[in-house]
Amino acid sequence: MERLIEILEDIQPDVDYKNCTDLIDGHHLSSLSIISLIAELEDEYDITVPAVEIIPDNFNSAERIMKMIERLQEED
Amino acid sequence: MQLSSLLLAGQGKSLTSLFSLLYLILFLPFCLVVYSILPKKLKKYFLLLSSFGFFWLISGELVIYLVLSIFSIHYFGIWIDRIGTQMKSAIAELPKEERKAAKQGYIKKQRLVVTLAVVIHIGLLLVLKYSPFFTTNVNMLFEKLGISVKLAIPTYLMPIGISFFTLQAVSYIVDVYRGVIKADDNIFRLALFMSFFPQIIEGPICRYSQTAEQLWNVGPIKYENLTLGIQRILYGMMKKIIIADRLNLFVQNIFDKNAEYEGGLIAIGAVCYTIQLYMDFSGAMDAVVGTAQIFGVKMPENFERPFFSRTISEFWKRWHISLGAFFKDYIFYPVTSAKKMKKLTSNARKKIGNHYGPLIAGSIALFCVWFCNGLWHGSAWSFIFFGMYHFVLILIGNMLEPIVQTVNKKLHIDPQWFVYRLMQILRTTVLVIIGELFFRARGLKAGMSLFGKMVSDFSFTTVNTDLLKELNADIYDLAIVGITLVIVFVISLLNEKGICVREALSKKNIALRWGLLYLLVLYIIVFGAYGLGYQAVDPMYAKF
Repeated sequence: MERLIEILEDIQPDVDYKNCTDLIDGHHLSSLSIISLIAELEDEYDITVPAVEIIPDNFNSAERIMKMIERLQEED
Repeated sequence: MQLSSLLLAGQGKSLTSLFSLLYLILFLPFCLVVYSILPKKLKKYFLLLSSFGFFWLISGELVIYLVLSIFSIHYFGIWIDRIGTQMKSAIAELPKEERKAAKQGYIKKQRLVVTLAVVIHIGLLLVLKYSPFFTTNVNMLFEKLGISVKLAIPTYLMPIGISFFTLQAVSYIVDVYRGVIKADDNIFRLALFMSFFPQIIEGPICRYSQTAEQLWNVGPIKYENLTLGIQRILYGMMKKIIIADRLNLFVQNIFDKNAEYEGGLIAIGAVCYTIQLYMDFSGAMDAVVGTAQIFGVKMPENFERPFFSRTISEFWKRWHISLGAFFKDYIFYPVTSAKKMKKLTSNARKKIGNHYGPLIAGSIALFCVWFCNGLWHGSAWSFIFFGMYHFVLILIGNMLEPIVQTVNKKLHIDPQWFVYRLMQILRTTVLVIIGELFFRARGLKAGMSLFGKMVSDFSFTTVNTDLLKELNADIYDLAIVGITLVIVFVISLLNEKGICVREALSKKNIALRWGLLYLLVLYIIVFGAYGLGYQAVDPMYAKF
């Protein structure tokens, strides 16, 4: 989780990623940040994030992002 | 006697407007009465029957396009699902290390099927809608190159709403492929999702997961839904027939006479057209949402007060939301998620930073989105220009964002400051109005000349009551439009602040509620633009 928060802070600083639960709905992460994040996650965690996974529910909090990563790792 | 005249096929063209007397006095009440009488298990079938009846009355034999589209996605959906089931049972029997390769084979098969389905549906739309535009341009090119070949320009009869139900069909089939939904084996449920009568003409473009189950599980009409639905329809009717239709002749006269008038009047024309388009389309959406609500179905909203937007990008998240969401989910993210694009983003981020890095891949995807958006609206260069205009504006907005933030910080400007926000809203509105000027103009050349005149000759010296009369807009018309706009603005402002006027009213006493409802009906009857001196105006988005 700490590594994920580091990645998020690198992409878009000044957000409380530990507590924020509306990263997408609250417009903290723009679509450009999402593009960056996906590229970074794929490199870091050796996963493929298909377009279908790019929904607010999967990106609204660091916890949700982590859950998606774990699920994609399992599916792989 | 032809079969079509016996069955009234295509004879109910005025039904295209959900505010026509034929719809409001005959079709809808008839549907509501029969729907109420029927037992619960038959209600959904009646909705399906009335939806096809509605389409048949408007489009006649062209209903075949809708029928074929439904059969096609039903078949393709089941095909994709079957491959998925085969994949699951096949890989369950394999050792773990062989599973990945086997899975890839099945996914490839599914991809082929979904591609075939999308090509058939989009291909048909392209042929019907764009082949005349394509051949006209090829002929022009031949002429310029001195080639004496002239291709015959094809003309096709196209059913109304094809641009909307085709996108709905594509979203269904792609969602089945993506595993977001299961393929529907009940063709009647799928047919109702595709054809539900209030939405088939102008949308919203719904996803299967949003409305299919709701429509299939409809029950008895509830009093609350009935009153809220009627209120919503009346509100939309006020927007459409008091504001949009009253502005119609005025706008038509300014745009049809091209750049004859001085720039100030053209600017007024562009403002009025933007208001007309918004009131027409969002009014129609009010009628769609309201009608669906009567049946207990919650439709997705297509507008969220777009003229409160601070940027063009935000504007398009609030205007024609279902189309924007379609492009985002089925074009923007798939393009940016392509392997090469991800690699491009990764490399660019390392070299040019977090903001500009993803901007390259994002801009390529954005270009695709706006090219398609422009084309979706019509087969003309002016529509492509309209798409590119917004693409460039959003691109500039993205590129300047870090600079603006730095300048704001240095000048100690709070972006949440009321005046700053107001300036942003005004800027966005002006940019939208310029875009709509090109959108409404009769071709790109006419748009350019109107814009040129607006910029080079911006004055109001010739605007007087006589000229307004000549343009079919007297002071009385403008005053009614102005007052109604104030009503819409106040309601929108309250909505923007999170206050739902309809809900707040529903808590008031019955006398006040019904009093206001009667007042609204009276207001529409007295001030609506119909009868002598007015033309019946078709829904503006139906032609797209």
